[in-house]
This record gives sequence, structure tokens and C-alpha cells, in this order.
Amino acid sequence: MVNVATTPTHWDELVHPDGRARPGGEALVELINSMELSELLERQTLADLDIMLSGITFTVSHDGRGIDRSWPFDVIPRIISAQEWRRTEAGLRQRLRALNAFIDDLYHDQQIVTDGVFPAEILAGSKGFRPECRGVDTRFGVWAHICGSDLVRDRDGTMYVLEDNLRVPSGVSYLLENRMVAKRVFADLFERQSIEPVDRYTDELARMLASLAPDGVASPNVVVLTPGIYNSAYFEHSFLAQRLGAALVEGSDLVVEDDCVYMRTIAGPERVHVIYRRIDDAFLDPEVFRPDSALGVPGLMRAWRAGNVAIANAPGSGVADDKVVYAWVPDIIRYYTGEEPLLANVPTYRCAIAEERAHVLAHLEELVIKPANESGGYGLVIGDRATTEQLHEAARRIEADPRNWIAQPILSLSTVPTLTDDGVAPRHVDLRPFVLSGASTYVTAGGLTRVALVEGSLVVNSSQGGGSKDTWIVETD
Amino acid sequence: MLLSRVADHLYWGARYAERAQCTARLVRTYTELMVDLPSSVLDSWEPLLVVAGSEVAYEARAGGVEDEMSIITFLLADLDNPSSLACSVTQARENVRVTREIIPREAWQRINDLHHYVMANAPTGCARANRARFLNRVIADCQQLDGVLATVMLRDEAHEMWQLGEAIERADMTTRVVGVRAAALLSESRRDDGPEITAHDDVQWMGLLRSVSALQMYQRARRGTIDATSAIEFLVLEERFPRSVAAGIARIRQSLAHLPHRDLTDPVVDALADTLIGIADTATDGEALDAAMERVQRALADLDSVVHSTFVVGQT
Repeated sequence: MVNVATTPTHWDELVHPDGRARPGGEALVELINSMELSELLERQTLADLDIMLSGITFTVSHDGRGIDRSWPFDVIPRIISAQEWRRTEAGLRQRLRALNAFIDDLYHDQQIVTDGVFPAEILAGSKGFRPECRGVDTRFGVWAHICGSDLVRDRDGTMYVLEDNLRVPSGVSYLLENRMVAKRVFADLFERQSIEPVDRYTDELARMLASLAPDGVASPNVVVLTPGIYNSAYFEHSFLAQRLGAALVEGSDLVVEDDCVYMRTIAGPERVHVIYRRIDDAFLDPEVFRPDSALGVPGLMRAWRAGNVAIANAPGSGVADDKVVYAWVPDIIRYYTGEEPLLANVPTYRCAIAEERAHVLAHLEELVIKPANESGGYGLVIGDRATTEQLHEAARRIEADPRNWIAQPILSLSTVPTLTDDGVAPRHVDLRPFVLSGASTYVTAGGLTRVALVEGSLVVNSSQGGGSKDTWIVETD
Repeated sequence: MLLSRVADHLYWGARYAERAQCTARLVRTYTELMVDLPSSVLDSWEPLLVVAGSEVAYEARAGGVEDEMSIITFLLADLDNPSSLACSVTQARENVRVTREIIPREAWQRINDLHHYVMANAPTGCARANRARFLNRVIADCQQLDGVLATVMLRDEAHEMWQLGEAIERADMTTRVVGVRAAALLSESRRDDGPEITAHDDVQWMGLLRSVSALQMYQRARRGTIDATSAIEFLVLEERFPRSVAAGIARIRQSLAHLPHRDLTDPVVDALADTLIGIADTATDGEALDAAMERVQRALADLDSVVHSTFVVGQT
């Protein structure tokens, strides 16, 4: 028989240290514990086959070419009680309200800087701040329409926001696909308990995107802008276009004339009103940003500034997901909402501030060192796992460019029982919920749970050997 | 609202999927013929290369080697041969993969599944013992793909682009079967035995009809006996048979009627349809038939370039 167990040093999402199920996990634990390992493996095989036949893939680059890999999925789901999730959801709404107000303020009066809450020198050193966006009025004052925030749970059970992704967060397609697979694999459990559906997301996204259209457009033409088929998230771009019923366009499919955007169709140019872009700011418009960008659309920023096209997320949104700005988010929430933050930030040392930098340099081996502007776990140094040379190198880089580095205590990251080569064993997870902001705010029911498949590893990125799980918000009454 | 780039992928996705299916039918039937007929009547695999339009490519690659396995492997499994079945399936899948936002999900799953199957089984599927099973699976999967598109895809411009590609490819393949195989059979019959159909010729004509899955319907429409002239007329002119050249042209016309820029495409379709005029008179003369089929193929190639310039390059 399978027996889900945990390690006493970490918080397990499914079971207490004594092996009893946590709230919402009772039915799953009972089912797994009643199974032979071979039965569980059989369900995993079914899921893998389903994923292969459905062509659920992600693209890794190898020798400059894109190679499609099957999406890695572990059948044992991650469960969160509905009661806990409602608190988390409220925290995310509050956070996004504040972050959008912050971005809007930075591109207008910069009141938060004037009031001395956010330092001018941090803003001055920000790579994500785009002066070209100053003075632009966006609909509802919202800039980051789609956000993917990464949440982790430490050993004491506290849920922390690790980072916010406000540029082109990806993963939501896998969240939705994981559920399709899980429903087939665990149909018995879906029948027996109340698990919140996740499918509403694309409807909410469609509604939100349509609401951004320029005034007077009754039925807006919404498109998804992709860098192309070799992008690691191409599967998702295609998936979302499909669910939105939108055209999936590449930069070369669009053209700007008289500050309006058109797409090249078989019948001639067709006006575009809303662009859900999955291209980074720097590549959006070679007239304004990187002139060598072949992915973007010359004149796009002019059209956007003229109010003839909406772009989601708005250019310049990245100013608020810089890992240095992150350290100020609790202050930003207090400043714009007048409330205490409902979701905790991980305590963060800012190397830009002399006394915090000194602490970091003296305690490198106890900290995670992160560059401000990298994603996907690149450039990250985990103090207690790094070699002495790596720590020296990190210290050198911090001293050379302190503004671009932060450090955080090493969180233990909670675990979920996972199918491994040696049977069921705990593996570390994080959680990426997605938040839509428009006239109102929508939070996905749960999020994408990513799992580090290697024992003890904390790296959950699929590009570096991470897997995924379905995430169940279970009503516990 | 169909993007030009996407229109191009749909058109080629359809062409490659149809090409894969046609190649499978062709090889399946030819293998059966080789098994059936005494080697004094049919002893070479080369005609298969000619119908597939691959004789020049094959010559360049494996000139002089003309054994069954080399030729069949070239036609079915060779990834360096852009017209091989394996390449056609790969190209069809790639074109569908980049239009997944348009194509029904089930259709993508079919072509994706077929691709996995062909990649894993094409090399062993070339051996005579496995060939029929391999090809039957390919044909069945392609038919499922057609079925999904026929039953669940929205009838919009995207659907018409797919239909157009499929119809052009199918008409092209039928003209090649008629132009190469039927013309050769006519010439041989005349040379050896006059217009009489010998027992073996009978089998050959049946094989020819079968290679475009036309035998049973021909027998029903023409009440049994096989006659060279009426077989050719059936394959070229019978509008009620969906794989005939005339039915293909009717489909092409129908698709283009639902697409923009008819002022540019109508004249080219008219010219294509005109190539069938007087073709019944060539149905007894191998050389004349071959030449007539070449005229149809040239008109199909003209249409292909007009489709490209009109819908893909477009007017700015």
C-alpha cells in the first residue's frame, strides 16, 4: 500500500507530521492510502499519455533551436482549503489594487516619491521604468491587467508572496490543462467533494480585454501578440488565442498607419483594438525601444499613446515587479489602500541601503541572493548550497551594483507528496495564482502549482527540471 | 478576419495531410498489385516513384538502386525526401500546430497522434509484412482528421482555405495517377494486344482505380465491368465521385467563392476548368492523355501561385 508521509523539517501541504490529512485533503489521502503503488502509477501513465496525445508542451531552447517537451505533470494534486484560499485571494486583490495605483502614480504625479514613501533614487535606477509611458491615461487606471504572483509557504505554515510578475506572466494555460487531465485521472474524487472549477478564467480574461477597447468600439478586435513558435511559452499563446477566439498574431502580421493598428488578413488590413501582448516591453516597438527588434511593430507606441489601441499589460508595467521594488510593496499597500497588507512579503534586505547591505555581505551563506531583473531562477544564489567561490563572486557583484541586488532568508518551501522513482515522497512546491485587473479584479481558484521533482531541490521552473500539479480549492464546511 | 500568414499554414496543412493520405493509398495498392501479378507483367517498383513525382529526387539520392525496400523507404520513411509520407505528416502537423487557435482541438490531436505513430513506426512499416497495417493506420487517421473538420469546424474562411488546399492536392494526385499509370497502360495495351483488355490488364485497371479508392464506386456507377475509356472518364470527369479531377475543381470553385478577391481568382479557375474540355477524346490514346493531364497540372500550379500572391502576399 502507498503511504503518504512527510519529513518533519518541512510543512507538508497534504498531511500533518503524524500522517493525518490537513483540511480538505481527507478524501485524497484516504484514496491514495488505499491504493497499491501500481494503481497510482497506472493513473500517472494515463495522465502522461493524455498530455502527449493532446500535445501539451513547452519549448526549451537547445543549440539555438526550440524543442518541444511534453508538459511534466504529477498526478497527486495540491490541496488548499477554501477557507484559507479566501484569505489569500483577498490579499492578492489588495496587492494588485495597490500595485496598479503605484504604477499609475509613477507615470503621472509620482506623489508617493514626493511624500517620501518610495525613494527617488530607486526609481531613477529602475530598468522597468519607461519614460515613454509618462502621462498616458489607461482605462480604469490599470496597467498590470494580468499578474502572476508566486506564493510559497515556509515551515511554520505562513504563506508569503515571493514575487509579482507584472510583465508577461505565463503558466495559466497549464493550470487549465492540468485540471482537464486531473478530472480524467481522479474523476472519483471530483464527484465526491466540492472542488472549485478553474475554467472561468478565459471568460474573465476575454471580458476584461474587451473592456479595454477604445471608446465607441462596440465589438472590439482583440489579438494575442506572440514572439512566435520558438518562444518557450508559444503553447500558451496559442492556447489563450484559441480560448479567447482571438487571432494569434506575430509582429509582422501587424502594421501601424495614421496611429492605428491593423492586421494583415486575406481580405486586406483589418483594424485591431486590443493587443494582449506576450512580448517584453523592449521588443514591442523598434521605433521606441530596441531598434533591432524584429518581433515588434514599428509605431505601436504611437498608436497606444494616441489611445487608438489598448495594450495589456500596458508598456512600463514592469517597473513594479522589479525585485528591489518588491521590498517596498508593504509600504506601497499601506500608502494607497490605507490598510495593513493581508499577505506577507518575504523579509527582504535591500543592498541599496548601506546597513542592510552590510548585513547581507556578513550573512551570505544564510541568505538567498537575487538579481533585480532576472526571471526563471537565473542568477540566483542560495547561500547554504553555494561554493565559497560562488559566494565570493556574489559579494563582488553586489558591491559593484548594490541597487540591483536583494537578499532574503532561505525559506524552506512546503512540500506535497509526489510520485517519484522511489514511490511517493515529499517534494517542494510553490504556487502561481493569476490576477486579472480591469473594472473589477478576478483571482484564479488556486493557481499553478509547480514542483521541484529532484529530492531536496527548490528549483520549480519547468525549464530547469520542475514539474507541476493540479491545485484544488476544496470546500471544507 | 483570417490572417494571411495563418491562411498560408492552413492551405499547406491541408495539402500535406492530403498528400500523406494519397501516398499511403498509392503504395498500398501498388504493393497489392505486385503481389497479385506475375513478374512478367509487372516487375518494377519504379512506376511508383513516377506517380509520386519523386523519380528525379530518388535518382539523385539512390540512383541505380531499384529494389523494393529502397524505393518504399524513400517514399514512406525518408526524412530527407520532402515528399515522403513521413515528411508530409511532419509538415502537416507543423502547419496545424501553428494554427491551433483556429483548428478544432480534436483535429490537432488526430494529426499529432498520427505524427507520433509515423515517427515511431515508419521504418518498420516499410517492410512488406507490416506495410499494409502501417498504411491502413495512416489512411484511417487522415480520414478521422477529415471527419473532425467536416463535422465540427466552423464554416468560415479558415475552413475554406483548408478545403482549397485539400482539393488542389487531391486533384493533382489524381491527374498524376491518370497521366502516368493510365497513359502507360493504354500505350501497352495498344502495342501488344490492340484495344482488347487482357486478363492482366483488367487487374491493372482495377488496381489503378483502387489507388484512388475509386474501384467500388466505379463498379456501382458503371455497373460492373471495367473498360479503360470509362475508367479514365470516371477518374477525370465524374463529378459525383469526390476524388475525381472534375469534383476537385468544383470544390476549388466552391471554396474560392467564399473567399475574397474573386476578381483575381475566378479567371484562373475558369482556365483550370477549361483544361478538361475535350479530354474524353484523349481517353484512348496514352500520349494524348498524358499531355492532357500535364495541362491540368500546369493549371493547378498556376492556381497555387495565384492563391499565394492573392491571400498570402496580399495587397497593401
